[in-house]
Amino acid sequence: MNATIKQQLSSPGGWLSFLIKYNTIFIFILLVIFSACISDVFFTSVNLSNLLKQVSGIGIISVGMLIVILTGGIDLSVGSMVALLAVTFAILVNLVILPLAILGTIAIGFALGSVAGYLVAYQKMAPFIATLALMTIARGLGFIYSNGSPIIFETKGGLFMSNFANNSLLGIPNIALVFFIIVIGAAIMLKYNVFGRLIIALGSNEEAARLSGIKVNKYKFLVYAISGALAATAAIIVASRTNLGSPNMGVSWELDAIAAVVIGGASLSGGKGTVVNTLMGVLILGLISNILNLLNVPSYPQQVVKGAIIVFAVLLQRFESK
Amino acid sequence: MQNSESDYRLEMTGISKSFGVVSVLKDVNLKVKPGEIHALLGENGAGKSTLIKILSGVHQKDSGQVLLNGQEINPKNTHDGQVLGISVVFQELSLVNDLSVAENIYLHKLGSSKFWMNWKEITQNAQELIDSLGFEIDASATVRNLSIVQKQVVEIAKALSEDTKVLVLDEPTTVFDPTDTKKLLNNLFKLRDKGISIIYISHHLEEVFKIADTITVLRDGVDTGSLTASETHTDHVIKLMIGRELKDLYPARNSKIGKTPIFEVKNLTAKDNLVHDVSFDVKPGEVLGVAGLGGSGRTEMAKLIFGLYKKKSGSLFLEGKEIKTQTPVQAVAHKIGFVSEDRKEEGVFLPMSIKKNISVTNFNFITNKLGFLKMDKEQENVSSLITKLNIKTPSSEIAVKNLSGGNQQKVALAKWLSIDSKVIIIDEPTRGVDVGAKIEIYNLINEVAEKGVGVIVISSDMPEIMGIADRIQVMHTGTIYGELPKEKFSEENILRYAIGKPLK
Repeated sequence: MNATIKQQLSSPGGWLSFLIKYNTIFIFILLVIFSACISDVFFTSVNLSNLLKQVSGIGIISVGMLIVILTGGIDLSVGSMVALLAVTFAILVNLVILPLAILGTIAIGFALGSVAGYLVAYQKMAPFIATLALMTIARGLGFIYSNGSPIIFETKGGLFMSNFANNSLLGIPNIALVFFIIVIGAAIMLKYNVFGRLIIALGSNEEAARLSGIKVNKYKFLVYAISGALAATAAIIVASRTNLGSPNMGVSWELDAIAAVVIGGASLSGGKGTVVNTLMGVLILGLISNILNLLNVPSYPQQVVKGAIIVFAVLLQRFESK
Repeated sequence: MQNSESDYRLEMTGISKSFGVVSVLKDVNLKVKPGEIHALLGENGAGKSTLIKILSGVHQKDSGQVLLNGQEINPKNTHDGQVLGISVVFQELSLVNDLSVAENIYLHKLGSSKFWMNWKEITQNAQELIDSLGFEIDASATVRNLSIVQKQVVEIAKALSEDTKVLVLDEPTTVFDPTDTKKLLNNLFKLRDKGISIIYISHHLEEVFKIADTITVLRDGVDTGSLTASETHTDHVIKLMIGRELKDLYPARNSKIGKTPIFEVKNLTAKDNLVHDVSFDVKPGEVLGVAGLGGSGRTEMAKLIFGLYKKKSGSLFLEGKEIKTQTPVQAVAHKIGFVSEDRKEEGVFLPMSIKKNISVTNFNFITNKLGFLKMDKEQENVSSLITKLNIKTPSSEIAVKNLSGGNQQKVALAKWLSIDSKVIIIDEPTRGVDVGAKIEIYNLINEVAEKGVGVIVISSDMPEIMGIADRIQVMHTGTIYGELPKEKFSEENILRYAIGKPLK
């Protein structure tokens, strides 16, 4: 990595191609500088820690979205899964001891993701359709199990979780730490583990992967299951932040996650994308909301700006491939 | 048609073209008469494709002049080219899979015609066009369901649907078996006699000498002049192409062939019966050739053995023990390797690095128990294979899509060498590969065999299969019709078996 960077910088016009290649990091830094200039409040620890807390939930599901997209698939169910699993966690935390509630929620997330994985890998269903179906089913189940209203944490375990979710370690919010650990873990798995190699190979040429003796179906199945487990982790975090599980949580989060992955330069046809760039995508989206909030821009224009940024980021990547 | 000022239909003079700092064509001349078949030869990367792309409007030249019937032309895109009467059949098929044959053939006209389409008439015209070429394809069939040979025929029909004056064919016969090739070449003679100028790009020199009137050879972006085909010979052309004398295209076989077979196939029948009752064996150190016409089930047989298709009956034995290969995963676990004929779609991972391509079969050796990669061990293995196979690349991190066809093929082979396969099935080892890389691949096949591997080579290229195989099995209608020992190798014998007739 370092060698390639040096090589690029030393070649004529190197800076430009460097900026184009690492454009997400570049956009991120520009946005930070811009935000710091435009608002006095931006660089306060309260604001920065708020920003991190806001992006952690979507950030975690974006990591799951990335590994699904790397195989050439898509997971539309994660937003609704967050709602269903937040409700599930709230119910469990009021019923059983905390470790069991956490493990149970993650296991249920993994199981729900497995349903999508089974449909895609073994029933050859289009990922868009399989996860679209799961999306409405999960949202519906969330409303059924909660009777349509939020379920509030009532036990000591619940109290512990909401303390955990709202506190910091060395100035970094605990939930952001969870997010960063997942990012680092995923980055290591993708770069240094066979798992990452194989899902990228499978996304770049499924037929060649099959002919190389790779268990294509197993890995396709696994990425959806992992995405489900990560949705469960995100659900636990967002529920703990507000001390409740609500079926209205995570609305359209799947789209934000896809946007983050795409801003991070991943290809929707699979085989291309990295965790670090997805992290940048998540932070960029979070930063935009944050700065627009600081500037008191109402939420409707915010959506317009967000959309424009997505277009801009993807256009920049076109330069990269040229 | 002929212009009084010039004998030539097409004159390209002083054409130069660079991509960035890389100069691809330097002052190239190409002159083609009406009613002439003009072969354009050169190794991969010599600039043939770029020259054709300039002619057809895909690329724009940096300098030089293109005259068509004495008039200067400057096509800005392929549509301009087509309007001028320049039709190109590119190597990469450019058909729309979900449309019918007829729709594909007349696709370029659909936009500009009347609001209502007369589908009946279009389909009928397309059918007549295909029939006139002598191939059996239903014009209303969906292109997706056609074989690769049929797709190529549709591509040619599409080029002829225009009022074509200059027809360019880039490697048209790579997917054809000898009978189909013969049909195509006869068609080209007919077109030539009608006065169409044909530019023919091919790596098959035998074919070129059968049909070409004139030959132009490109080497490293420079043309080495035009030759009259009847006044030159293969060796001279090869010398011009690679810049040195070529002693033997097919290396001497000096592998020790074992007595007991390493791999046996007994009465193998596919669930859909397209391949049935196939029995043969391969000995360690042996190169077994599999010949046959297109559609005779050669590739299907290989894929059946490799576990890609479902089996109905039959058994496989590896080193005397019966094995099951229900899926490619099982086949690979038994160290059976398969190099597909369709390199880009099934053979390599184009956007991925050479290193990642080679390692993909090999994770048991280069990972620890938790699946983490031993990076230095991987690099060591990959580097040694790159050196051994003479893959021309500055680094193992280069994406495979940036390599030439020959080097891509070596990467596709390398992944099976890296797991010490016991049996390797290679389907069309040198399709779309230039002469220099061909020799290297033949040498490689030899070396693999010498190590005691059983090598099965499927090929449509008869000189090739006779040059490298120790024995040839000939397939006909889904089964093995006959076997030829080395002393009976001849094109005639292969063809007789391939069409289901006994030897004379």
